[in-house]
Amino acid sequence: MKLKTYFLFFLVFGSVAFCTDYLELEYPDHFPKPTYDFSKNEFSKSKIELGRALFYDPILSKDNMISCASCHSPYNAFAHTDHDLSHGINDEIGTRNAPALFNLAWQKSFMWDGAINHLDMQALAPISHPKEMGETLKSVISKLQNKKIYPPLFQKAFQDSVITGEHILKALSQFQLTLVSANSKYDQVKKGIAEFSAQEKNGYELFQQHCNSCHSEPLFYNLSADRKDNEFANNGLPIDTTLNDYGKWMITKQSADSLKFKIPTLRNLSYTYPYMHDGRFRKLKNVLNHYTEGISKSQNKNADLKANIQLTSNEKVDLIAFLLTLNDKEFVFNKKHQYPKEILNQKNTSN
Amino acid sequence: MKYNIILVIMFLSFSVFGQMEGRNISFFPTVNNQLIEIDKNYFSDVVTDSINFETIRFYVSDVQFCYDENVVFSLEKKHHLVDLELPESMKIDFEMEQDLKFNKIKFNLGVDSLTNVGGAMRGDLDPSNGMYWTWQSGYINFKLEGVTASCPARHHFFQFHLGGFQSPFNSLQIIELPITNLDSKDIKINIAIDGFFKKIKIKETYEVMSPSQQTVELAQFMASIFSISK
Repeated sequence: MKLKTYFLFFLVFGSVAFCTDYLELEYPDHFPKPTYDFSKNEFSKSKIELGRALFYDPILSKDNMISCASCHSPYNAFAHTDHDLSHGINDEIGTRNAPALFNLAWQKSFMWDGAINHLDMQALAPISHPKEMGETLKSVISKLQNKKIYPPLFQKAFQDSVITGEHILKALSQFQLTLVSANSKYDQVKKGIAEFSAQEKNGYELFQQHCNSCHSEPLFYNLSADRKDNEFANNGLPIDTTLNDYGKWMITKQSADSLKFKIPTLRNLSYTYPYMHDGRFRKLKNVLNHYTEGISKSQNKNADLKANIQLTSNEKVDLIAFLLTLNDKEFVFNKKHQYPKEILNQKNTSN
Repeated sequence: MKYNIILVIMFLSFSVFGQMEGRNISFFPTVNNQLIEIDKNYFSDVVTDSINFETIRFYVSDVQFCYDENVVFSLEKKHHLVDLELPESMKIDFEMEQDLKFNKIKFNLGVDSLTNVGGAMRGDLDPSNGMYWTWQSGYINFKLEGVTASCPARHHFFQFHLGGFQSPFNSLQIIELPITNLDSKDIKINIAIDGFFKKIKIKETYEVMSPSQQTVELAQFMASIFSISK
């Protein structure tokens, strides 16, 4: 009897302790299983809290002026609206448009050229890039170790107040993994709690006919389970000779990868303009015009799209109406994802 | 009686499994058979003038001891970062059965592909060690940096960051070295850095910092300069 009581006590106490910190990623039934391996970076409240602080803290940059959120703003679905190419430290301008950050738990590779193979390692690129944050991970470790708020946050998250590169990167991953956008009108239709208008429905059919093979449902980039994964495509854009960006080729040096770029998600398009890897199109109608008129005019002969997509102007309007059902206002204004003023606005945060 | 049986079992287990003893593998980067120290000038006929080294840092992984083709012992720790700036990292200590016979040591020069896609790692694999590319995922297997006047780069600074795990540019090298002196507890591995410079033309090849066919060739050159110290 006594043994039973102890067992029960430990069971209850253990579950309570577990419930207070460890979490599971929440996503709707119509989403596939995430790709991210949570067994190597267990999801917990304290790691997410730490990751959120790091994401918004400009201490990650060399001049302590640029944070991840400088180019990935929550109000733009974590993209950089209004800038075709993003700017970083000392107003240096990069060569690509900052992509939106959400539904990252399902992505297999990162960056427009797929240079990064794991979410944990992604943050290293902007931290170290001379035109983005211009810092080194080693220096970030030392700055964080000397800032009063961080050793206790690391202790709480990783049971170790000695800050390491591994823990910084894993905490940043944790916060970014919480950025799940899954409550757009499209999602509500899938859940059976909303209905498309006639125009949206027509747009959805056009989407399925012309766009879904690359921007596959329900994530709207190319990770569909029932077909061969190809996260990258040459969509026939003419090369911008001021940038001479050959996309995936610049990483793999394989000719088949020339001018291939990551197929971006079509969720939250109203918040993430301008579009394409170099932000060349400011409006959705410019994007559609590229697909309906630009392919055949392009000198980019190896495009995966061989011919223009045929759409009437009314069909374009309907297609855009459907694309706008992928906006997720609840995600964009979710306070849980915003600047953690309760942590970063503490007085005397530095030693 | 009970205790006697225990003692007999203990004695038998010692005889069957052998006693453990401490051993080590140490690495000695050299030029003209002289041990290299960071930032010290060396004269060598492989360059037209003096050469000095700022960084000699590399990964040794999956260390195995073999008797002919059979693996008889493997080191428990998988990845070792060897860094000339950190003297303690130049020697790997371990315990091995005293009477174990082996005639070959085998290890990888670099980090395996599975680890390269496994996300953020700790300790020797922590990306803050300066051995992880930031602009592209992947570990640098061997980093060799320094200065020699015949190098045409800015400030005559040469940089070889040899890495890459994806086909066709997988630069991981498997090194096998025969061991003849079985009595020695210490395995000393000489890395004849001048041998690497003999195989390249420093006037033409001096900045290699991404995976490519050339990187794979340079990694092969690098693997070829490892030998057991006589």
